[in-house]
Amino acid sequence: MKNSLREVAKAKFGIKKLMGLVILLIVLLLIPRVASNYIVYVMILAMLYAMLTVSYDLLLGYTGQLSFCHGAFYGIGAYTSALLTLKAGLPFWVALPISGMFTFVVGAGVGYPALRLRGAYFAVTTFFFGHLVYLVILNSYKLTGGPLGLRDIPPPEGFLGIDFSSMNSSYYLILVFGILMVVFLYRLVRSGIGRIFIAIREDQDFAEAIGINTAAFKVLSFSISAGLAGLVGSLFAHFFRLLHPSTFAWMTSEMVVIMTLFGGAGTLFGPILGAGIVTFVLEVMRFAPEFRYVIWAIALIVVLVFEPKGLIGIIERIGRLWRKK
Amino acid sequence: MMQTLEVKDLSKEFGGVMAVEGLSFTLEIKAGSRLGIIGPNGAGKTTTFGMISGELKPSSGIVKFAGERIDGFKPHKVCRRGIGRTFQIVRVLPELSVYEHLLTGAIARKFSFGLGVDQQREAERILKLTDLERLKDVVAKNLTTVLKKRLELATVLMTRPKLLLLDELMAGLNLVEIEETLKLLRKINEEMEIALIVVEHVMKAVMELCGRIVVLYYGEKIAEGSPREVANNEKVVEAYLGKEAKNYARS
Amino acid sequence: MDYLVMQIINGIVIGSVYALIALGLNLIWSITDVPDFSQGAIYVIAAYVGFFAVTWAKLPFLASIFVAMCVGAAIAFTCEKMLFRRWRGTTHHIQLLCAIALFFLMSNLAVVFWTGKAKFMPSYLSGKIPLLGFYVTYERLVVIAMAGILFGLVYFFITKTKMGKSIQAASQDKETAEMMGINIDTVNSVVFALGGALSSTAAVLTAPLYSVYPTMGDLPLLKSLVVVILGGFGSVGGVLVCGLGLGIVESLGGFYISSAYQHGYSFFVLILVLLFRPKGLFGRM
Repeated sequence: MKNSLREVAKAKFGIKKLMGLVILLIVLLLIPRVASNYIVYVMILAMLYAMLTVSYDLLLGYTGQLSFCHGAFYGIGAYTSALLTLKAGLPFWVALPISGMFTFVVGAGVGYPALRLRGAYFAVTTFFFGHLVYLVILNSYKLTGGPLGLRDIPPPEGFLGIDFSSMNSSYYLILVFGILMVVFLYRLVRSGIGRIFIAIREDQDFAEAIGINTAAFKVLSFSISAGLAGLVGSLFAHFFRLLHPSTFAWMTSEMVVIMTLFGGAGTLFGPILGAGIVTFVLEVMRFAPEFRYVIWAIALIVVLVFEPKGLIGIIERIGRLWRKK
Repeated sequence: MMQTLEVKDLSKEFGGVMAVEGLSFTLEIKAGSRLGIIGPNGAGKTTTFGMISGELKPSSGIVKFAGERIDGFKPHKVCRRGIGRTFQIVRVLPELSVYEHLLTGAIARKFSFGLGVDQQREAERILKLTDLERLKDVVAKNLTTVLKKRLELATVLMTRPKLLLLDELMAGLNLVEIEETLKLLRKINEEMEIALIVVEHVMKAVMELCGRIVVLYYGEKIAEGSPREVANNEKVVEAYLGKEAKNYARS
Repeated sequence: MDYLVMQIINGIVIGSVYALIALGLNLIWSITDVPDFSQGAIYVIAAYVGFFAVTWAKLPFLASIFVAMCVGAAIAFTCEKMLFRRWRGTTHHIQLLCAIALFFLMSNLAVVFWTGKAKFMPSYLSGKIPLLGFYVTYERLVVIAMAGILFGLVYFFITKTKMGKSIQAASQDKETAEMMGINIDTVNSVVFALGGALSSTAAVLTAPLYSVYPTMGDLPLLKSLVVVILGGFGSVGGVLVCGLGLGIVESLGGFYISSAYQHGYSFFVLILVLLFRPKGLFGRM
């Protein structure tokens, strides 16, 4: 098993890319040791966003469905996990998978009717669903604390002497989950399921005509994407330990969409890159809270004008030009 | 037990217009079975295909395949029962290579997590059959229309159909390409024992390939028979060329 | 019982706003297959333009509407020419992404220039008329009247003028329209400019009623999208009916059921309709 994994990685990935990944991994592992607390904090935010975009890429980049409610699933996972630990007294390690599964089920429930619609109709419907979730969270004072939010959410219970209330430990925890999620999605999109998703993206009617139950697989993609977002939500809740409805309003869903498309949908690594860069740029410019969005929007438009495939497209272009030399 | 496709009294209404009305025919699913459906534009040919393959729900009537009623089935279910189709405007998976198309077809037929040797072998077999081996790594969007059509057919073949519905496969092909395609279709029909129903405007192709022809005109069947019978049928000539031509031919 | 009528009138007022924005969106969407989110931001900018036209330039209200219309049309026209036109005909999500980016851009520009605090537009027409036991302000009636007039004008434009018929043709079948000699570039420009003008008018009309602030466009945009989907493409009457209908549903729902979820009722209507008629109520597509 290990052998073939390495072979697969080398063969399909290419030595250069593999080296790049290893270096990246080493850098990521070293950051808490050399960087300030603030940088670690920003890195954590970046990783959380990266997990959101990579899980969203499954739906948008690989299955071709544009939804605007990823932030809502993030929120459902976060609040569910928080409530399970706060009010039901469950440990984090139990609340985490339950939140993920619950969000998966909600995703299936919403996806089943919603995915009968296509294109922009589907997009707008999910937009509204997302907004509805936000309204429910905002108005369910007794359950979610409404506009006051939830506080004092416990950090994950430690083991082997690790204390997860520290920033560095949280960093490593989230990094591990991030890697697991990326590996999971990487294997998934290369599996038979992934091929079916891609076929649906390329031409849904043709996929249907060659025997693919497109309705079922679209719902599956939607649900997996949602469930993963729910897991990220849980991680966020127990790291930040404070939840507020505004974190899960439509702006978040829109940002996820934009980061994914900006980085390059359908590549898994593009969205991660997009999330990382955007998080950093916005954070660096936090002294100008609105202006940074203006700069960001302009940058986005400029990138799009040059390369519709996003950052990954630009990188590939540079790669091709380099090889020509 | 001979398997058949049975279409009985099939009708489809679109906003007050009967696109197809009371269509009935039967086809045995075996080698040698090649049915052609011809008719002027708007006669209801593609609509008929749509009702058989599941894109459209008949307004009334029955479609039976191998003894089972399949009208109203979703397209993927119809495909799993053994009916494959190609589309009037060719459909492919633009960003995927030729080889990936066939692998996708294999997965579509029988789901599996990984891609094993069997699927690869079958893909290679179909590549050879449809003469696409040299192009196996070409991305579909870069193919010419003719090759796209062949790729579409090859992909559908991966789903191991027993009956193929081919919608205007010859459209836009030159004489050489038509000959090659006819050769391929005969091979598919005789060696792989896949029955064919062919909708066509290219008369030469239909007349040469099909043993039996159904002629549709404004949604109704106006003639059915061998190519010769149909070619000499007055009603058919009139439908295609108008009453004037019939009078002219007489005089 | 009085409250019912009052809520219905409120609903018609807000519905008129949705309908106006939706009309523009409808036209743009049916020609380009892109839901133009940037109209939501043009809405915001137009409201500010109107505000400043009235308070700084001391223009009369109608004139300020006109100024805002021109600005909105110009912005939309420019966006189309420089950005949307590049990706016309591609099926990437790029045009939608661009529209969203423009929305972000313009909304945040508004915050940068004019802060997040709401600005209150002075009332331009005082007085109210009594209606069925209570009062309706003239300003609200003006909204309804303007909407009616604009809808009538657009309907006339679409059905009776040459350009209007070209737009109809292009929305049904772009390729054939082009082959028949219709200049798609011009059609696109006209349609975008028209959308910009309509959204701007809607914005300035509501400014005196609800104040002007940078995020005022978010929700109206969303509702208008719903109206377009419900009202169907290429159907001017459908947009009007659905816009007003949605406004009334919202108003009644907010009053009788719960005001907290006022913005969610549109969603239920949408889902209900789409479950039974996936192509919208009046749609041709």
